[in-house]
Formats: sequence, structure tokens, C-alpha cells
Amino acid sequence: MTARKSGSRLETEIERCRSESQWDKIPELVRQLSAKLISNDDLGELLLGECKLQTYLKENPIKQGASPRGQRPKLVEVRKHLTAALDRGNLKADYIQEASLLMAKLCYVEGEYRDALGHYSRVNLDDMQLVGAPVYRLSMIAEAYATKGLCLEKVPAASPSLSNKNTGSPSSNRSTTDNREQEIITCYEKSGDIALLYLQEAEKALSAGIQNRSPKPGPAAQDQELGYFLETGLQRAHVIHFKNGNLTHGVGRFREILRAVETRTTQNLRMTIARQLAEILLRGMCEQSYWSPLEDPPTVSPLDDPTRQGHTLSKNYSLSRRPRVYSGENLFCPQENTEEALLLLLISESMANRDAVLSRIPEHNNDRIISLQSASVVYDLLTIALGRRGQYEMLSECLERAMKFAFEEFHLWYQLALSLMAAGKSARAVKVLKECIRLKPDDPTIPLLAVKLCIGALHWLDEGEYFAKMVVDMGEKAAEFRAKGYLAIGLVYSLKATDASLRSTQEEYQRKALGAFQRAQSLSPTDHLAAFYLALQLAVSRQIPEALGYVRQALQLQGDDVHSLHLLALLLSAQKHYHDALNIIEMALSEYPENFNLLYTKVKLESMCRGPEEALLTCKHMLQIWKSFYNLTNPSDSGRGSSLLDRAIADRRQLNAMTLPDFSDPDTVSGSSSSHSGSEPVSPISPSTISTLSSPLSSPSSPVFILQPPPLPPPKKPPSFLPASPSSISPPPTKTRTHSFCNHVTLRQLSSSCGLQDANTLGFSSMFSVCSVHATSIAASRVEQALSEVASSLQSSAPKHGPLHPWMTLAQIWLHAAEVYISMSKPAEATACTQEASNLFPTSHNVLYMRGQIAELKGNMDEAKRWYEEALSINPTHVKTMQRLGLILHQLQRYSLSEKVLRDAVQVNSTAHDVWNSLGEVLQAQGNAAAATECFLTALELEASSPILPFTIIPRAL
Amino acid sequence: MLAMDQGVVEEWLSEFKTLPDSAVSTYAASLKDKGALVPALYKVIRENYSDLLEPVCHQLFEFYRSGEPQLQRFTLQFLPELLWSLLSVSAARDPHTSGCIEALLLGIYNLEIVDKDGQSKVLSFTVPSLSKPSVYHEPSAIGSMALTEGALANHGLSRVVYSGPHLQRETFTAQNRFEVLTFLLLCYNAALSYMTSTSLQSLCQLSSRVCICGYPRQQMRRYKGINARLTVTSEFLVQLITGIHYALCNGEVELGSKALDDVLYRSQLELFPEALLVGNAIKSSLHGAALKSNNKEGARSIQVEITPTSSRISRNAVTSLSIRGHRWKRHDAVDLGSPDELMDISEVDEGVWPGGVGPDMTPPTITISNSVTTLNLGAKAMKKCRLGGRTSKDKDKEPGPLTTGRAASENTELSVKRLTLTSSQSVPKAGALTSLTRTASAVFSRSFEQVASGNAPPASNHTASEVGRYSCSLQEEGMGYLSPTPNHTQRSPSISVHFGSDL
Repeated sequence: MTARKSGSRLETEIERCRSESQWDKIPELVRQLSAKLISNDDLGELLLGECKLQTYLKENPIKQGASPRGQRPKLVEVRKHLTAALDRGNLKADYIQEASLLMAKLCYVEGEYRDALGHYSRVNLDDMQLVGAPVYRLSMIAEAYATKGLCLEKVPAASPSLSNKNTGSPSSNRSTTDNREQEIITCYEKSGDIALLYLQEAEKALSAGIQNRSPKPGPAAQDQELGYFLETGLQRAHVIHFKNGNLTHGVGRFREILRAVETRTTQNLRMTIARQLAEILLRGMCEQSYWSPLEDPPTVSPLDDPTRQGHTLSKNYSLSRRPRVYSGENLFCPQENTEEALLLLLISESMANRDAVLSRIPEHNNDRIISLQSASVVYDLLTIALGRRGQYEMLSECLERAMKFAFEEFHLWYQLALSLMAAGKSARAVKVLKECIRLKPDDPTIPLLAVKLCIGALHWLDEGEYFAKMVVDMGEKAAEFRAKGYLAIGLVYSLKATDASLRSTQEEYQRKALGAFQRAQSLSPTDHLAAFYLALQLAVSRQIPEALGYVRQALQLQGDDVHSLHLLALLLSAQKHYHDALNIIEMALSEYPENFNLLYTKVKLESMCRGPEEALLTCKHMLQIWKSFYNLTNPSDSGRGSSLLDRAIADRRQLNAMTLPDFSDPDTVSGSSSSHSGSEPVSPISPSTISTLSSPLSSPSSPVFILQPPPLPPPKKPPSFLPASPSSISPPPTKTRTHSFCNHVTLRQLSSSCGLQDANTLGFSSMFSVCSVHATSIAASRVEQALSEVASSLQSSAPKHGPLHPWMTLAQIWLHAAEVYISMSKPAEATACTQEASNLFPTSHNVLYMRGQIAELKGNMDEAKRWYEEALSINPTHVKTMQRLGLILHQLQRYSLSEKVLRDAVQVNSTAHDVWNSLGEVLQAQGNAAAATECFLTALELEASSPILPFTIIPRAL
Repeated sequence: MLAMDQGVVEEWLSEFKTLPDSAVSTYAASLKDKGALVPALYKVIRENYSDLLEPVCHQLFEFYRSGEPQLQRFTLQFLPELLWSLLSVSAARDPHTSGCIEALLLGIYNLEIVDKDGQSKVLSFTVPSLSKPSVYHEPSAIGSMALTEGALANHGLSRVVYSGPHLQRETFTAQNRFEVLTFLLLCYNAALSYMTSTSLQSLCQLSSRVCICGYPRQQMRRYKGINARLTVTSEFLVQLITGIHYALCNGEVELGSKALDDVLYRSQLELFPEALLVGNAIKSSLHGAALKSNNKEGARSIQVEITPTSSRISRNAVTSLSIRGHRWKRHDAVDLGSPDELMDISEVDEGVWPGGVGPDMTPPTITISNSVTTLNLGAKAMKKCRLGGRTSKDKDKEPGPLTTGRAASENTELSVKRLTLTSSQSVPKAGALTSLTRTASAVFSRSFEQVASGNAPPASNHTASEVGRYSCSLQEEGMGYLSPTPNHTQRSPSISVHFGSDL
């Protein structure tokens, strides 16, 4: 009884050792076993044979690609044991099978492939039970299939006699080789499946064992190594598929392996295979040739080598037991090649990340390089996949995770910087670019990228200067980028000049900018940008004829450049050739019909030469463009905005949008700009604005307007003029807004119903542009920057910047409308329009300025003064407001205060001729005739070169 | 153009017109066999002034409109050539010659931007998330994920629009040209697997020419066509790169790598981050993979070898995974005075010296950067390592404050490699140290031994016995050395902290 009991315990122990490959314990156990029962002697031989063979293989591992050859003295013993076990025939059938399999394996190791195949044909592998088999036997069967496959691959080559037989008929030869190949692949696939099953079972047994027994962490508790045969079994099938150009089957095999529930041992394999499959999906497939993992592959696929097509090897075997696969409800199954590639890469990334070698001692150099390489391959593929889909925000987050590998690794740093830049995270991008510069100081592209960010969204002019100087200092080394470097530094100076509050500083920067642009232009005479910016800078310093020369040059180089055309028009307007200017603008608009910037200028020019009716038509057109632009973006599919956090952020930003200081914060703007064009969350503002947009439209505004006489001279009109306009009956817009919080459906309806005659009521004239230019207050200058950017960014139809831009544009449109109404002496409509803009940006100084103008129009000088003062409290350097305030103070006979305000205004913008004029008037009123004359002369002179809108409305960017 | 080619094209033009609807699909399949047709059509497109161009464009559009995938792909294969034709003509400011090509391209565009019901098509895809189970993984097996903003935002699967909705276009303008062309390339890229090698070559040529014309590199490539610069957009280049990538991996190694280089060259000059990003990634990922072009029959250079499944990283190297075993002592137990004197150094996974390395070895250099924002550190278990900034001139050795940490609850197995990083704590000038930390990063060089053997020290463990004592000396040039004083126990943890202002 006790003997039997201990005997069975012994057997369990033996089974466990075999399963866990603890071969060193076997001899001892065999000794105990033979002490128990005589009949187990044969089993002992089997076990000893196995353990010696396995130990031999462990000590002399077979290398992939190398074929084992020749008898080894150490294996003689193994053969002796196995022959003994087999010869006596006392063993149970199971054990006889095992002994035969071991014998076959031995034959393979010795290079006797035919003998091995002979053993396999005797055993008949397909008959071996998978259900209920002990764990070690699963491994044995898997190895046997793999070994059989290996032997089959060797035999035809090894025995010319066999292939010679078939040379008689090529077709039969072809079919035999096909059959052969099919058989080989089936062997490997079975081997792979059973190997996966074995690994799953082994892990299960191990964890069960740990729970049952006292923790006995042997070496087997660590990662088990697969060994040559199982590795071959798992991978050889797909290798053959790919070698044959049979991509569909290779991919299918990859997917089968990946769908099996992972085990510790398969982790590395999975990581590799996931990466390889992702590579194939990205490099060799496209959307149309893709099929999902749960679908059957297409019978004919362009992916397969056409010369090989026809012998579609379908999976034609079944196993009684298969490895467990991931299952459950709501499993995510990719439907597109990028989706699948991304999923695989994310899995791969999580594993690669886990293996990141952190220690930096020299001993681990190799390990570190390996972990770095495997990770950077994954990150590169992630970049390819996400870049294709424009998901730069997600990409930047992924690459951020790569930073643990990135110490002194230029590529990773640079990619992170670029992804941050593409995601619109400008401030961070600049910081990372700095590190890139440190790692690769000779590359002029990197500082140039930094300048681009600094003078763009960030408006970090000092930093920009620093980076631009870097490029310039590279001298000849920067090669083609040298001109770009001068261009960059010129832009920095030019922007600094605009920001500067002291006239001497301004002039200094303008001089420097001009010098830099000239240098850039001479270095790269074929670059239209150099010529264009040179022209722009000359225009800003009112050297109109010279500017015209260069802008023509720019246009010769790049005939359809929108900014050059715009500048040309403005230059012509400065020469008072308004009709020519308008022609140019119209020509430009035929190429850029949706460019708001051009349209503003057009409105202005039209009201100048063709009267406000024409301008109103243009305004109507602008309104339609705005709608077609922003209605098109689909609200429900907003990029990642559907996720909880993003929604929260969007909401927050939206609140920010209501107040001025926040949208002047570069990070708010740039942060939000990361989302793709389609991702603009349509905020609650949108319905309200659209409907409010339609609110004056629903008013009895009618074509009558158009037929009205041209506007009376704008300012200081007594209110008695007003009732003449039918629009005074128009209901206050607020009423409409009560039911304005409608959903998108109404939004669409409203916008589509906003037809022709409605739009007539909306006149706009550019006003933001009027007030931009100088700002000492950085916040305000950034606002202006952002606002003028709005206009410029719209030239590419996809608004790359954040969700604010559409609203800023809309506000701008409203304010333009208001200004046109003011010029037509229609304060009620002007008020309504201003109110709409105010709903979007209540604290904008532009809105307040407009209110002041309306008050002036109504004759409420005190109210106007109050509005102007409020506007100045927000933006103390708003020249337009200063000028109006100066005038009012003049009228109120507060001359010295008026003079002070106007002098300040002149300090801010020395080219504003109307300010000079007002200043002259004030001085005259004070009796200072000489100074007044001086001012008038200056005003006159400036007016002669004054464009219809400031030159600086043209954006300056790298 | 040879008369023979003309004949082939004319035959092709006439036969489709007479084709009954039922025969369209068989006809589509038979197109492949007309060997002379495709080269002849390329010739027609290249020769802008050919009389055949207009009927050819018309027929290609008819093919596309038929909805038969094979016919559509037949048309698509000419897309790169058509794009080049359009762009070169527009660059040469020759307005009237490309009218029919424009019409064809706009026609395809307008067909593709709407779905069957005539609604604007929106192309979207699902961003997979590791936190949701998939056919390939189970979230629990991935391990703890960093709680970054991105990870949270991605908690659910989200659908992302990557193209569309687009506006119908009647004409090409400078403003919409690249928007339309980018979308057309997107369509082309969706059918890349079906494209012939001639088409891929044409794509590579298109890419090279668009990018280098008018730039000094044009001479290098010896291309003599137009020499005006063409404006491009970053998105357009990204789509080109996608096609080039496929070409590169599917037999067109030479032209493909040239094209990739040219696109990268242009992206650098234009400072396009998107194109640079994707282009660099492709270049770097193909760097290792030897591309084989020797096989002429469009051999795919996708090769897979058997790879060893065991980890190639040696066991005793500290990895992100193994570092999870470490627990960092926190010492919030002791009040360290004003918060200004506390320097919180948030530490990334980096920087653990594995246990069991002798103290005689050169200490490793570990970078601990406190300029990194915590939010972004994300990836793995981030441990906070607080360095109580109390040092003393007089080497007054106080017991290093040991913290309770979360030690007790932690896995005993893991606590073997417990690390304690403390220092004695009085700063002579608080300002000095803070300014040091402000220099953005501290370089720690230290060698650790297993400080506490076995189990976690209990919360009350404030004695010096188990913990090293450290003294810190600040040097004038802004370097602080925290040098260890050996402990009396057999385990002598030694830490030397070195603050450098060099980052």
C-alpha cells in the first residue's frame, strides 16, 4: 500500500519534473523508481534517455539555420537507453510512443532524417491524444511535429534519388512538391498550435503547483526557454509562407499565434510577431486589400505572389484541442489596417517599454542597445501609422513614453519634438528642440524649426532671435539653410519692431530686419519668400516704390502666392490706385476664394471705389463662406473630443474663449490647436452664434437697404437721422437668442435659410486690421497676433488651429458689419452687430471700441468716452481708440489731456496719419501753430503713402 | 507617339463604348492582358498636347464612375502621372492645356467625397486602446498603465475622423489645389496593393520632382523639366511619403529611397514637422532592414526570420519591469520645516542600481531630472524620491529620516531591493540648494546596496542602524556632493549625490 502510494507520488513527481524540464532531478528519481518496482525498468531507460538527450541539447543548443550532423559520442548513451526501452516492449503504449518520438528526435539530432521520418510514420503523430495528455507530452508532440517538418524539409534535398524519380513529368513534380510543401507547413502549424497549448497548460500547472505546494521557486519558475524545436514549430510556418510570397497565409498564421492567450514564455515571441505583423500591415497592405482578423482571407489577393497563386493552401487540419484564444464580449476587433497596426504596436510598445534597460553601466551597454533598438522600431512604426492618420497628439503622447530610452538618443528626441510641434504643443516643442540642438549642433533645420514656433504661436521673440542667430552663425555650414536663417532673423526683428513702443527701437529693428531680408534675398534670389518679406518690410517703412519692385519679383517667382498678391494690392492702394488694387484683389480671390484676409481688403476697397452696396455683397459672400466652412465640420465625430477628458477641456477652453486674457495665452491657443480640423468640438456657442447670426437677418431687413443712398459722413450724426432706416424696427437680437440654444439641426436650417437678401444687411469693413499693429501690452499684442492669424490661417481650408478660430473670425465679421453700419449711419444695426461680437468676446477692446464709435454716432459723447476708456484699459496701446478718445477730449476742450493721448498714440504708431492730424488740430486749438503745422505736414506726408489697411495685416511666419 | 500606340489607345477608346453593362466586369478583368495599352496611355498623358488626351481622360473618368473596382483601379494607376501633369502645367502657367486632366481629377474627387447616398463622406477610424480587451490582448496582462492625461482620455475606444467632410469643387484654385490632390492621394494610397510597379515608379518620380524643382538639388538629380518651385503642403507630402513607403518595401528600392530623400529635403527646407516626422520614421525603420531589389518580379521585401523567443536582455539588467520591484523610501514622517527647504525630486524609473553590486565598483550615473513635469513622466510606476534638503556644515549627523512608505503592504518578495534615499537635513542656505535644484537636473551618482534586507522596515524605524548616514557638502561652483559615511552594519549603503548644473 505504502509502496504503491509512494510509487504514484513518485510518478507525479517525475511528471512534474518532465513538464518543468528539470532534467537534473530525473536520474535520482529513476533510482528511486527502480527501487520500487522491477517492471518500471524500461520506463527508467526511457526517462534516462530523455533526460540525457535533453541535457545534451541544453548544453549544445542547435542554432537556427544550422543543421545538426554526425553522431556524437555523448548521444551513444541516449541511443542505448532508448533502444533498451523500445526493444523489450514491456512499456505501456503511451510510453512506447514517447520512446519512439525521442528516438526520432535523436535521429534528427544525429542528422539521420530518414530514420527519424521512419519512426514518425510508425507512431502516427495524428493519433496521439491531446485531450487529457500530461503537460510534458503536449510539448513532446509539438516538438515531434516540428522535427518531422524539419526532416521533411531536409529529405528531398538530401536524397537526390527521391527527386530524380519525379523528373519525368514536370507537372506531377510540381504537384508533388506542392503536396510536400503543404505537408511541411501543416506539420509546423500543428506543432505551433500544440506548442501554444503546451505553454498555456504548463503555465496553468505551474501556478496551480505554486498554490498547492509550499513555495519552492526552482529555476523553472523563471522564464522557461522554448528550445530549438518549439521555436521552429512556432515560427517556421509563417516564415515559409512569407518566403513563398504568400502574404495572406503568413498574416493569417501571425494572427492565430497572436490571438492565443499569452504566456510568460510567449511574451517575447508575441512582441516580435506583433511588430512584424504591424510592419506588414503598414508596408505591404492598403485599406482595400485588408481583411479583418475574424474574417476569412480573400481568395485572390494582390498581396500574394502572382506566380505562386493558384495553390491556395487552405488550412486543412483539425486538432482535438486548440490553444485558448482571447474571448469574451465586446472584444475589439480591428476593421482597418491602420487600426490593427496601431493595436499591435501599442501591445508591442507596452512590452518594449517594460524591457527598457535603465542602468547605464558599461556592462549593460549591449542590453541597453537591444532594448533601445526594439523600442525605436516600434516607435517608428507608431509614427508611420499615426502620422498617416494625422493623429499627432496621440503620437506625441506615445513618443513621450519613449523618453526613458532617449538619453543622448537624437532620433527619439527629434521625433518627439516634431510630434509636439505637429500636435501644436509649441512651448514644449521648443524645449525639446533645444535638447536636439545640443545633441546635433550642426543641423540648421532644428533651430529653424524652433524659430518657426517662436515667431508663430508662441510669440517668443527673444528666443526666436537666439535660435535664428544660431543658424546665421553657422555661416557656410548651413548651406541652403543660410538664407532661411537670415529670413528667420529678419522676421524676428520685423515682429519686434511692430511690438516696440519706442520709436527709436522700432526704427532700429526695422533697419535690422531690412538688412536681414536683403541678405536672405541676395543669398537665395530664387526664393520668393525672401523677396516678399523684403518688399513687406520696405512697405512697412513706407518705401512704396522699392517695395513694389520686390513684390513684383516675388510674384515672378511664385505667381500665385496669396500674400504677395495681397501686398501688391495694398501697395497700389497706398499709391491711391484703388481700382488697380481692387483688380489685383479680385484676381487673388479667384485663386483664393475663401481667404478672409483678402476679402476684408476687398470690402474696404469696394466701399472706397464702388460704394457700400458692393461691399455689402462681398460681406454676404463672406458670411456664406464662413458657414460652408464651419458647418461642414462634423460635430459628432470630433477627434478625440468624444472622450470624457477632452470634453472637459473643451468646455473649459470654451469658457476661456469668453474672456480675453485667456485666448491671448499662447498655450491655450496652441494647446487647443492640436486637434485635427474635424475635431473642433462644436461648443454650445455654436448654435447660439449661428442663430444670433440670423437674428438680425430675421429682422425686417430687406433689399431696401441696398437701395438706400450712400452713407453720410460717419461721425457725429445727430440721432434724428436714424428713424429713416426701416431697420430701427428690428427686434433686439436678444429676443431671438432666447430660443437660440437650439441644436445643430436648427443650426443647419438657419444657416441654410440665411439667404441672399438677409445677408445684405450685413455689411462689414475691416476693422481689426485697422487696430492691430502696435501694442506694448504683450497680452494685447498676442490677441492681435492671434486675430490676424485667424484671417491668414483660413487660407488653407482646414483650420489647423484650435476651436477658437472660427469664433474669432465670426466676431471679426460682426465687427466689420458694425463698422459698415456706422459708415452708413445706422447705429441700431451697428449695435446689433456689435452685440453679436460681444457675445463671443465680451471683453475684446475691439468690441468696446466699436461701441464707442456707435455712441459717437448717436451723439453720446460721454458714453463714447466711457467705452473708449474701457477699451484702453484692456489694451492701452490701441491706436484707433486713442485717436477717437483724443478727438472727443478735444471736443470737450480738454486740450492737454487730448494732446497727451494723441502723443502717446503717435509714439505707438508713428505712421498713423489720422492721429497726426488730430494732434495737429489739438495743437492748433491750443494755439501752438508751429507744432500744429509740423503735425499736419507729417499727416499729409504719411497719408500719401498710407495703404487702405495696414501692411502688417499680412501675416509674417516662417 | 507611335502609330501603333495610337492604334491601341483608339481601340481601347472605342471598345468600352460599345460594351454592354453585363460585360463590364469581364472586360475589367481582361484589361490586364492588354500589355501595350498601359504604356501607350502613359505616353498620352505625358504628351500634353496629344489629341487623344481629352478622350482618354474622359474614358478614364467613365471607368472610375462605373463603380467597378477593377476599372477604378485602372484609372487610379495613372493618378501620379496625372498629378504631375497638372502640377507641371500649373507651374509653367500654361492655363489651357490641362483642362481635361483637371476635369478628370476633380471628377474623381467629387465622386469620392460623397457616399452612395450623396452625403459627404467622413473617413474615420477607431483608435485602439490597451485598456479595452481585444482579439489580441487582455488589459490585465498589460500591467499597470500610466495614468496620463492621454491614457485617461483614451480610456474608451474613440473614433477619429482623419479626412472629410470635403466640399464639392468645381475648379482648381491655388487655395484648394492641394486639398483636392491630398485627398486623391489618400484614395490612391487606399488601393496601393493593386498598383503596378510602373505606377509606383511614377509616384516616386512625381514625389521627387514636386520636391526638388527649382531647388539646387534639381541639378543633382539632373532633372530638366520645369524649373519653377512648386508650392506644397505638409499633408500632401505625408500622403506622398505613405505611397513611397509602400513602393520602397515592394520592389522600388532605388527610386523609392531617392524620392524619400527628396521629400525629406523639401520638408526640411519648408520646416514641415509632419512630413519630417513620418519621413524620418520610415528612414529609420528601414535602416536596419536590408531592402532587396534583386528580384525583379516585384518581390516584396517583406522577409521574416525565425527569431529567438527568449529575451535578449540579460537578467540582471535593471529594466522598467524589474524596477517595479524597488520601493523608494518616502520620508514624510519627519517634518522638514518650510516647504521651500524641501526639494522634491521626482524621479523617473531610471536610476536604480540593482542590488548586489559591490560597493567597489564605479558608481553609475543616474540622471534625475526635476525639470520634467510629473504629468508627462507617465510611463511606468513613477516613484517619488524625496530628498530632504538638510545638510550640515558641521557634519552633524542626524539619522536619516526613514519613512513609513507603503512598505508594510507591499509584496515581501519585492522589498528585497529596497532603496532608501535620504540625506541628513539641514541646509545652510536654503536658497543655495533651491537654486541648485532649479538648475534643472541633478545627477545622482550613487551605488546602492540592499539597504534593508528582507522585510520592509516598520513605520517607526527611525534609527540609524539600517540606513546610511549621509553628509552633504556644497561646493562653491554649484555642485553638491552628498557623500556617504559608512554605516556600522555589514551592509553599508552609500550614496553620493552630485548636483550638476549642466543640463
